[in-house]
Amino acid sequence: MAANWVERISAFSRTPSGFLSGTTAEAFLAELLRELRDDRATYSVKVLLLSPLCEHPTLLCCSDSVGEETALELMSVFAQCPPKSVQFRCHLLLALTSILICTKCAKSRSCASLDFLDVLLQIAQDTSDIHGDGSQRPVRATACDCLRELEACCPGLLSHRLELLAGLRQQETSRLHQAYTGLHALVLRNAVYQLTQETGAGPEHLKALLGGNVSAAWEADQESGLTNSKHSAILSSLILGPMGTVPTLHTGPDCKELRSLLSSLLDESYLLTPLCQAALLHRLTEVVAMVPGVPPAIFRTHLLRLLGTSEVCLLHATLLLKGAFTDSLFSSEDEAFILKRLVVLSQHPLLNTPEKLFYMDCILHFPENRPISCGDGDETLPVLLTPRLASALVPTLFNDGATLLARFNLLSLVYLEEGEEGEEGQGLAYLYEHLTSLLCIVENRGGREHVVTFFRAAFLFLYYFCHVERYSTALTKQLCQLYLHHIKLAPHLINLADQTQDRLSESNWSVGLLKALQRVITEAPLTQLTSQDLSQHLKMLARVAEEGDILQHSTLNFLSSIITPSSSSLCANGDWRLGNYILGVCRRLLIHPSLDSLLTPLADVLQLLVCHYGDMEIKDHARLYYTLLTTLSKEKLAGVLAQGVEEGRRQVKKQSLSCLMDEGLTSMLTIQQTEKAVFRLTEAPPEPRGGDVNPNEAEKGPDEASATVEAYRDQFSDSSFASEITLRYGLIHISAHDALFDQLFSIRLHFSLTDHHYEELGDISVPCLFRERPSPIVHLRLKPKQPYPTTLHASAIFTTPDGRTWHTTLPDIHVAFQQTFLPLSVPLSWGRGGTLRVFEGLWDEMCSESGDSAVSLFCCQLTEAALNTLVEKHFLPFLVSDLSLKEEFRVLFFLPPRSHILLRVSSEEDAVHFNIATDNWELLPYISSYLPTITSSQEDTLSSL
Amino acid sequence: MTVRGLWIISHEKGENVSIRFSRRFSTVEHRAKSLAGSSYVAVPEESTFLQLLLTELGLSDSGKNYVALRDDCLYRPRSPALELHVDGPGKGILWPVLTVSQGPLILACLPLVDVPPEPRPPLANLLSVSQGLTLLAGLQTFLLGSGSKPDSEGLVSRLAVLPSVLLQVCPLGTPLDVPLPGAPATPAVPISGTQKQPAWKTGLHRGRALVNVGLIETVRSMQYGNQSRQDLWDVYVTLSLPPNGSPLQDILVHPCVTSLDSSILTASSVDNYDGSAFSGPYKFPFSPPLEPFRLCSYTSQVPVPPILGSYQLKEEENQLRVSVTLKLHESVKNSFEYCNAHLPFFNRNQMGVVDMKMSSGQLEVSKEKNLLLWVLGQKFPKSREVTMEGKISFSGPAPGPLDPLCTDLTAYVKLNFKVPDMTLSGCCVDQHSVQVYSSAKPRIVTSRELQSKEYYIWNSTGTAPVSSGQMTM
Repeated sequence: MAANWVERISAFSRTPSGFLSGTTAEAFLAELLRELRDDRATYSVKVLLLSPLCEHPTLLCCSDSVGEETALELMSVFAQCPPKSVQFRCHLLLALTSILICTKCAKSRSCASLDFLDVLLQIAQDTSDIHGDGSQRPVRATACDCLRELEACCPGLLSHRLELLAGLRQQETSRLHQAYTGLHALVLRNAVYQLTQETGAGPEHLKALLGGNVSAAWEADQESGLTNSKHSAILSSLILGPMGTVPTLHTGPDCKELRSLLSSLLDESYLLTPLCQAALLHRLTEVVAMVPGVPPAIFRTHLLRLLGTSEVCLLHATLLLKGAFTDSLFSSEDEAFILKRLVVLSQHPLLNTPEKLFYMDCILHFPENRPISCGDGDETLPVLLTPRLASALVPTLFNDGATLLARFNLLSLVYLEEGEEGEEGQGLAYLYEHLTSLLCIVENRGGREHVVTFFRAAFLFLYYFCHVERYSTALTKQLCQLYLHHIKLAPHLINLADQTQDRLSESNWSVGLLKALQRVITEAPLTQLTSQDLSQHLKMLARVAEEGDILQHSTLNFLSSIITPSSSSLCANGDWRLGNYILGVCRRLLIHPSLDSLLTPLADVLQLLVCHYGDMEIKDHARLYYTLLTTLSKEKLAGVLAQGVEEGRRQVKKQSLSCLMDEGLTSMLTIQQTEKAVFRLTEAPPEPRGGDVNPNEAEKGPDEASATVEAYRDQFSDSSFASEITLRYGLIHISAHDALFDQLFSIRLHFSLTDHHYEELGDISVPCLFRERPSPIVHLRLKPKQPYPTTLHASAIFTTPDGRTWHTTLPDIHVAFQQTFLPLSVPLSWGRGGTLRVFEGLWDEMCSESGDSAVSLFCCQLTEAALNTLVEKHFLPFLVSDLSLKEEFRVLFFLPPRSHILLRVSSEEDAVHFNIATDNWELLPYISSYLPTITSSQEDTLSSL
Repeated sequence: MTVRGLWIISHEKGENVSIRFSRRFSTVEHRAKSLAGSSYVAVPEESTFLQLLLTELGLSDSGKNYVALRDDCLYRPRSPALELHVDGPGKGILWPVLTVSQGPLILACLPLVDVPPEPRPPLANLLSVSQGLTLLAGLQTFLLGSGSKPDSEGLVSRLAVLPSVLLQVCPLGTPLDVPLPGAPATPAVPISGTQKQPAWKTGLHRGRALVNVGLIETVRSMQYGNQSRQDLWDVYVTLSLPPNGSPLQDILVHPCVTSLDSSILTASSVDNYDGSAFSGPYKFPFSPPLEPFRLCSYTSQVPVPPILGSYQLKEEENQLRVSVTLKLHESVKNSFEYCNAHLPFFNRNQMGVVDMKMSSGQLEVSKEKNLLLWVLGQKFPKSREVTMEGKISFSGPAPGPLDPLCTDLTAYVKLNFKVPDMTLSGCCVDQHSVQVYSSAKPRIVTSRELQSKEYYIWNSTGTAPVSSGQMTM
């Protein structure tokens, strides 16, 4: 059994959605809780069982109320757990914290969360083991962590406990003081933040807060202060660099209490692990930033120790400190020192690569005392970073790829600034030389990683120095040489051309590169070309043909020389793939601006293909192109294709081209993806029903209840009997207006299941959907295997008036539990008496039989009028008894394929009783969450038993 | 200051990839959702995450020459923070995914972005990034040990205890500490009295009081034997206490050091050295953790390399004429623990006849690897100079190893040596200067050693890799 759980839990955490599609969240949660309560299970298994609750609480607790119940359940497990199972108790606390926070119970201060808070505070204060063996200390530490997490997610939760927390922190001498310190600092920070949001809060409020005498009035304020809009602001870190604004609390210079508290926290910070120390430092930075009455100088005594550290997080916290206080804490000498320190750290032999890269990033976002730019997140060089200083970071061939590129980028920025003045780019010369060495490595068959690194470095170089023609021209030449020797690099070169064209719109370097590549391809001897090389050449020429500024005659000469039967065997071989590459080039030439001058040679090439190519399909395509070329005028060709060209993006252009003729007729099926959902399905009102019950009470069915049930059951021998539920939905546009999608045709809806509770659905076709016309009705026929609520993914393919075909995703469709209800299916002739007898027969069976059946009772307070409305609104189609018989309503829900839920609803003196019976006990959780929702909508008073 | 999730992945050069451990921190995810608002991107399930991560790391589709997503030349600062492009219903960019990898393991975590997500904040604004890096590095050391070869059985057993380790060091996504390598800490006996115990001290030391101070200097060198190119060498050190020595620079200290003098920190290798720098003694007051630790590290610039070499190759018909000279500097103690020279030859056929003469030491020839290993042993001869000369023909039947950097006459000699009881900078720890404030009288042991790393002597007749160090500006 234990092994089975290990497997199941790991299956769950691998793919939670896949795992839950085989069962339901409710069922899995129930199983977990049962096993957790089981005394036979070992604690190591139980720890494992908690991990789904810790990692995916919201998947298992679908609603806040389920979360609340689960938390109560786990708390009772905790209460009964012997103190010696320390690990399990710790994990239980973590699971409870996760559930309460993620289901928002903690935020709404639910009963369970308040109880849990008390439990945590009790554990945190329980220092009875201080002279014992310390075995309970991990539980105390975990409790502090849970309190900190609760405070982090619900800021202000513990604000009025500041004094208590301060005391706990001070008296603890074991390593646990770290946990108390972390908690204390966070609560302090949040409390001060909240004060900054109060209008008129001043020094006396701060004093009261620290002393723990929080007035009731303020507490009430605090509750309301936690509105949603502020909620995420308080979660954010406040240190945003020089241009960020921090909310402030004006206290005047008199805040002795706070100052002494901060000093004591700082003085003990040395006792914390580097990670906790960094976090503490950051919290205190925030507090001091918010209270201008406390001078930042209180940090000064710690700075040297922090600046000399080998720990990345401590130095980082110090940099953030600098960002927050700039010249009120750091002189310009300090600044120069820190920058130098960063340069040293960026290349320190003892640090690992990610740390060094991080430091390099810190140099490019250095918190300067007097920044020139506005710190909008762009990389900028600090003024103090001289070329001399930066020379410690020149890239070398022994760097790994990431380091090399980061250094290349940094040095490019340095030399870009330097270039304006003084020595004509010695640094630039160095960078180019370095680029050349990288190129040599690629030339000497460097691995894939070398190739990628080289092209990225080349892009960087061009990005910064494209305007220095000396180098950019030389690079073009070298790239052409490289290409001739390594033709397989074609996709990298095309990518480089594309990216430089996109990013450097004012430069035409990439056109120059493509022109040069065209030349080397067309001028090189054809003799040793393999078909692989040839296909790369053709891809490259196709890219070249996209450039209107490049003359295409040499390309056409090349094409004609490779397909002329006398000079090459290509045509005779009839390679389909190569043929397509050739056609690809021709296709782009068809819309080339200089088509007029290309007309004859292009026609010749196509003619050659038509007559001599060895593949039928290629011949056909070539014939189509030939026809288009010879019969359509240039304007018409351009007109047909204008759409894509106007939008200017290469991607789109390719697509619309392909729509026309990429792969013949099949290209019309090229499907494009919409960016957002275009339409959705909404529940439509039910169709008006015919007469439910045979009006004349002539009763033709069997007389006796059990026999009637028997006869009723016989109907199921036909497997298709009452096995489907039909749901009506309207198909409507989602409001965002996009004229392109106003009129849609041939919509084909496709549904996919998210679990295994239903049979697969067939596709549904809708002829058209117009924005201004009434929405078409779609009938979804669901065939349940188990009648559980479910969610369906939906997607659609449709056509727009311009002939394009689109694929879109619809918002998910949620099928609620009550949507799976059907009325009882009996022959019409049985009349009301017959259905009543079925009801009675089933009721008796369910109450007596064990099996899967179960009974239950739900009570609530409803006035008679409210009850009547409820029955009419929700139960009418399923009502078995007469509506006028008010003393007891009998309701029967049939849930395909074979389940029933029976209700007897009666008003007793104290409350309305819903007696529930079902032949499928697994449906009980659903009905017991369904009933409260419908009854509470009738009446707000509600109590369930 | 928290992470949303943690993943540990094992692979063999991009093959047989699997997630060995993963942990999501749901409460942090909850915060991420409210912090990011509409730009929130959920963490995808394991398999999707893995696929996206491998693509970003350039490890996917290893058979394919070019994959657009993986090989795009557009420069994005990928490391140390990757972007994962999540597709499908919850599509968007998951950032910043931190990774560290060593050998067969990739460790990844996703720090919480706790500042407004638009426009994207720089990494330097997120404290959670450096915290994540520290956590990952700590886990890596815990799982693989520092350096040396990872053993797969040890890895399995350490992965198995990871859940209870995480309970201590990162229970709810906020990293509190890094796991201690080796045995899990026994709960410490509480200390009576009012003095607080440092959180990084795991317990009380039992046994003899002993202070062991080891000083290791490591020397790197690039020698070109060429007038136009400056030879380079520098020294860096893993040490404990350095007093009275030559100027030490770039000092980094362990967090257990309680206070520092500003004069110790100011010397830096990126400054012009003006001779006026502080030259000791360097004092570090600290309260030591129980396990061995690196108290501080420094770099230093020494005027000459310990071993000056010259390497010359000449191509002659079908063979290569080799000439190597190594000179030990007089200030260096002539007593090695070991000293070897490696001479690899790349991009040639396997070696045929090797005819070499040397003035000292033995030669081991590995024909499959095209490698000469010159074992110099414990001592240089009296003259402090050794030479090796001879010819190699590469007439073997099969091609030898390839290297894209060392083509034609670009070749190097790599020196590996270790000299006990000496440092190049002259830095040392005086036994009597170690002051211990403790009731127990500890024994104090100090040691020194010099070792080489990346010590290359390039062939002066070929083109040495051009960009191999600082340029003169």
